[in-house]
Amino acid sequence: MYQSFIGLEIHIHLTAETKAFCGCNARYGDEENTNICPVCMGFPGVLPTLNEKAIQMSYLVAKALNCKLSPKTRFERKNYFYPDMPKNYQISQFTDPVGRDGHIDIEIGDTIKRVRIHDVHFEEDAGKMIHAGDMSLLDYNRAGYPLLEVVTEPDLVVGEDAEAFLKSFRRMVRYLGVCDGNMEEGSMRCDANVSINLQGAGLGEKVEIKNLNSSRFVRKALNYEIGRQSEMMDAHKVIIQETRLWNENRDQSEPMRRKEAANDYRYFPEPDLPPFMPSAEFLKEVDDSMCELPFARKQRLMSGHGLSSDQAEYIHDEKYRADFFEHCVFAGADAVQVYSWLSSDVKKLLNRTGLTLEKCPLTAERLAKLIALIEEGQISGKIAKTVLDYIFEEDKDPDKICDEKGLVQISDPGAIGKIIDEVMLKNGDVVQAIKDGDLRQMGFLVGQVMQASGGKAAPQVVQSVLKEKVLG
Amino acid sequence: MSDFEKKWSAVLSQAPVLKAYKNYVGTWEKKIGSFLEFDPNRNVGKELPEGPLKGIPFAVKDNIAVKNFKLTCGSKMLEQLVSPYTATAVENLQKAGAVVVGKTNLDEFGMGSSTDNSALGKTNNPWDLERVAGGSSGGSAAAVAAGLVPFALGSDTGGSIRQPASFCGVYGLKPTYGVVSRYGLTAYASSLEVIGVLARNTEITKKVFESMKGQDPMDHTSLDHNPSGKSVKTIGVLKNTHGALSPEVSASYEATIKRLEKAGYKLLEIDLPTLDYVVPAYYTIATAEASANLARYNGIRYGHAPLFAENPTELMKKSRHEGFGDEVKLRILLGTYVLRSGFQDQYYVRAQKIRTAIRQDVERWYSKADVLMMPVFPTPAFRHGSTDMDPFQQKQADLYTCTANLVGHPALSVPSTLENGLPVGVQFMAPPFEEDRLFQVSALLEKEFQAPEAPGYLTDWS
Ligand SMILES: [Zn+2]
Repeated sequence: MYQSFIGLEIHIHLTAETKAFCGCNARYGDEENTNICPVCMGFPGVLPTLNEKAIQMSYLVAKALNCKLSPKTRFERKNYFYPDMPKNYQISQFTDPVGRDGHIDIEIGDTIKRVRIHDVHFEEDAGKMIHAGDMSLLDYNRAGYPLLEVVTEPDLVVGEDAEAFLKSFRRMVRYLGVCDGNMEEGSMRCDANVSINLQGAGLGEKVEIKNLNSSRFVRKALNYEIGRQSEMMDAHKVIIQETRLWNENRDQSEPMRRKEAANDYRYFPEPDLPPFMPSAEFLKEVDDSMCELPFARKQRLMSGHGLSSDQAEYIHDEKYRADFFEHCVFAGADAVQVYSWLSSDVKKLLNRTGLTLEKCPLTAERLAKLIALIEEGQISGKIAKTVLDYIFEEDKDPDKICDEKGLVQISDPGAIGKIIDEVMLKNGDVVQAIKDGDLRQMGFLVGQVMQASGGKAAPQVVQSVLKEKVLG
Repeated sequence: MSDFEKKWSAVLSQAPVLKAYKNYVGTWEKKIGSFLEFDPNRNVGKELPEGPLKGIPFAVKDNIAVKNFKLTCGSKMLEQLVSPYTATAVENLQKAGAVVVGKTNLDEFGMGSSTDNSALGKTNNPWDLERVAGGSSGGSAAAVAAGLVPFALGSDTGGSIRQPASFCGVYGLKPTYGVVSRYGLTAYASSLEVIGVLARNTEITKKVFESMKGQDPMDHTSLDHNPSGKSVKTIGVLKNTHGALSPEVSASYEATIKRLEKAGYKLLEIDLPTLDYVVPAYYTIATAEASANLARYNGIRYGHAPLFAENPTELMKKSRHEGFGDEVKLRILLGTYVLRSGFQDQYYVRAQKIRTAIRQDVERWYSKADVLMMPVFPTPAFRHGSTDMDPFQQKQADLYTCTANLVGHPALSVPSTLENGLPVGVQFMAPPFEEDRLFQVSALLEKEFQAPEAPGYLTDWS
C-alpha cells in the first residue's frame, strides 16, 4: 500500500490589542472599516511600526514548540495581489523567522507522537471581501492583524493525526493566552499539504488543501484526499501539484488553481523595518510568560493526583479548569471527587446557565468547601447538589447557604430513630417481608426515610439504625 | 533672525507684503511652473509656534504628505488624492514655526532627472526656460531659485535634491539616511531615500535640517542624530577622470578646488574604483523596492480607478495602465524582473553585495579626509526633451549622486560657478551624522561665491 505524508500550516491571530504594524484596534466583530488608519490602509508615505507585544507572543509560541529562537528576526515583503490586501504585499518572514526546527509531542489515541515544526513566523493578515449580489465589498478591519504561522514537517500520516495535532495545538495556544483558537471566527485557520507515494519512496507530488475551518473538516478532507490520490495511483494516473478547496457541503475537495499558475512571491527584505533583536530583558519576559504546557500538565495530573487518563484529559483540556482543579485539591479536596463534580454537576450547571467556569459564582474555595461538608457528614451528596444550585443562584459560600436554608444533615440516631418509627408504622407489610427474609426491600425503606427527612438524614446513620430496628 | 529671514517672515503676517508676494509668484509661475498647488492664504492669521523658523513660508515636494494638501506625486494615479495626515519632517518644521504655502512639481513618484516625467505639469529652469530644472525635486529647486520660497523640501533617492540644486544654483542637502523621518514620504526606494532641503543659503539649509531631524516613533528606521563635532581640515577630492564631465562642469570643479586650496584646506586626491558599479547597483535596488512600493496603487482604496472593471485583476490593470506614466511602468517592470524567483542571486543579491563594496570603498577614505568632494552631475541643466540627453544617458549620469544614497551618507550640493549663464554645483559627502562638516565647507565657499540669483529674481518685491 501507499505511504501518506501530511504537513500543516496553521495561522493564529495573536490576541494583541493592536494591529501588527499600527495602533489600530485588533478586535473581532466591530463595524466594517472602523478599525483602520492610513498605515493599515497602505496610504502613500506611511511606514509600519512593529508591535512588540505581538512579537513577544510569537517568541513565546516558538519557545513552547521547542524551536530555536532567532537572535535576529527579519521581515520580508511577500508580493502578491489580493484586493483586500492594502499594500499588495504582505509583511512576513522568510529568511530569519521567529523560530525554527522545533517539535511538539501530541497524543493520538494511546500513543505519543513527536511532530517536527519547520518554522514559526510572524506576518500581517489581509482584510475580508464580502460578496453581495453583483458587488464586492471590502472590510479592512482585519487588515494588519498580527498573525503567526506555524509550519509543521510532513510528519502526520492520516486525517486523525491532523485532527489530534490541531486540538493539541489549539489547547497550547489557549494555555499561553496568545490566541482564543476559534476556528469558526477565523482566529485560527489551517491549510494542509498532503502527498502519497509507494512505501519507502519518499514524498510524492504535493497537494495543498485550503479552507479548513474546523478540526473535523481537517480530518475529513485529508482522509478524502488520501483516498482520492490512492485511487489515482491505483489507476496509474499522475497526481499533479495543485491547490484544492474543501467543499464542506459536498464533503469533497475541489481544484482551486494549479501551482504552475501560482504567484512568484518575489520575497525581499522589508526596508522599512530593521531586524528585531530580542534583548535579554525581552527574553526574560518571554520566559516569565511561559506556563506549564498541556501535555506536561496531563502527565502530572495523572502521576501527581492519581487521575486516570480520561479524567486527566477532561481536567487539562482548559487551563482555567486545570488551575481550578488544582486549587480545590490544594484546599484539601479529594482529586477524584473534584473531577466528578467538575465533569458532571458543575458542567451541567454551566451548560444550563451559559456561564463559563471562569465567570460563574463557583470558586475553587467554594467547591472545596462543599466537598468538605460532605466528608464531614454535615450534608449528604444529595443536599450538596442543592447547595451547588444555590451557589449559582445566590453567589454565596456553601456553609452560609446551609445555615440560611437549614440544609444540615440529621445524624443524631435518636432523631432519625423517630422518623424510622413513623416509616415502619406506615409500611408494616414491608417490614414484615424483610423480617421474613426479603432483604431486598431494605432499600425501599431507606428511600422512604430519606424522603420523610426531606433528604437531610445522614444515609449511613439511617442504614444502621434501620437495620437495628427492623432486624433487631 | 537674519535680514533674509525677516523679509520672509513678513509675507504671511503683513497683508500688503502678502499681496506683493502673490503677484511676484504669479508672474514667475507662469514661466517656470514650479508648483502643483499654491495657497499661501491657508495659514494667514493663524497662531504660529515660537520657533527658529517662525512665520517663514516653505514649499513641499508633492510626494511628501501635508494634511489637507494634495499628495499627487506628480502622477495621474494620485491626481485627486488629498493627504489625511502630515509627514513627521513637515510637522517638525511646523513646530519650529514654518508655514507650508504649496506643493511642488516632481518627476512622477520621484523617478527621473528632469521633472519632465511629471504627469501634471511642466517645470522650467528659471535660468533658461528651455532647460529642465533637474529632477526629481525640480519644482522645489525652481521655486527656491526663483525666490518664491526661501527653502523647500525635496526627497533624494539617487540625487533628486542635489542634481536640481546644481541645475538651479541653490543649496541641496541629502541628510544621513534615517536622521530625518521618512514617515510621510511616498516611498519609491525605501532603503535609499531621505527627505532633504533645497535652500537659498547654507545658514537656512542648516537651520531647516536641525529643525526637521530626529528619531521618530512612526519610522523604525529613523535614528538619533549623533555628530562628532569635528571640524574639517582635509578634503578628499575625487580625481576628475570618471565619467565624461562636460567642459563647463570640469571648469567649475577646478574653480572649487582652487577656492578650497586658497581657504587653507588640505586637499587629497582620491579615487573610487567602485563608481563604475554605482548606477547598475542603484537601479537594481531602487527598482526592486519600487516594484513593491508602488504595488499599492491598485485603484481600490484611493487614487485613480477606471470607470468599469469586470473583476479585481482588471480593475488593477486598468488603473495602472491609465494612471502610471512610462518611466514608472518601466521601473516597476525592471524591479519585478530583478526580484523574480531564481534570478535574485544574479541581480538583487549581487547588487546588495556591490553596495557593501561601495561602502567600503568610500569609507576607507574617511581615515584620511574629513569630507569627500565630487561632481554632482556631468553636465549643467540640459534642454527639455531628449535632444541633449536621452533617458538612458540621464540614468548613467547619476553615478556621482547615487553613491551617497547607496551608502546612506550625507551629501550637500553647493553652487560653484556660472558657466555660460547656467549654474553648476559641486558636491561634498561626509560620514554618517557629519552634516555639520558639510555646512562648514559650504559656508566658507559661500563667502567666496554667493549663490547666484536667476535673472528676474527680486530680492525685494514690496
Ligand atoms: Zn491602522
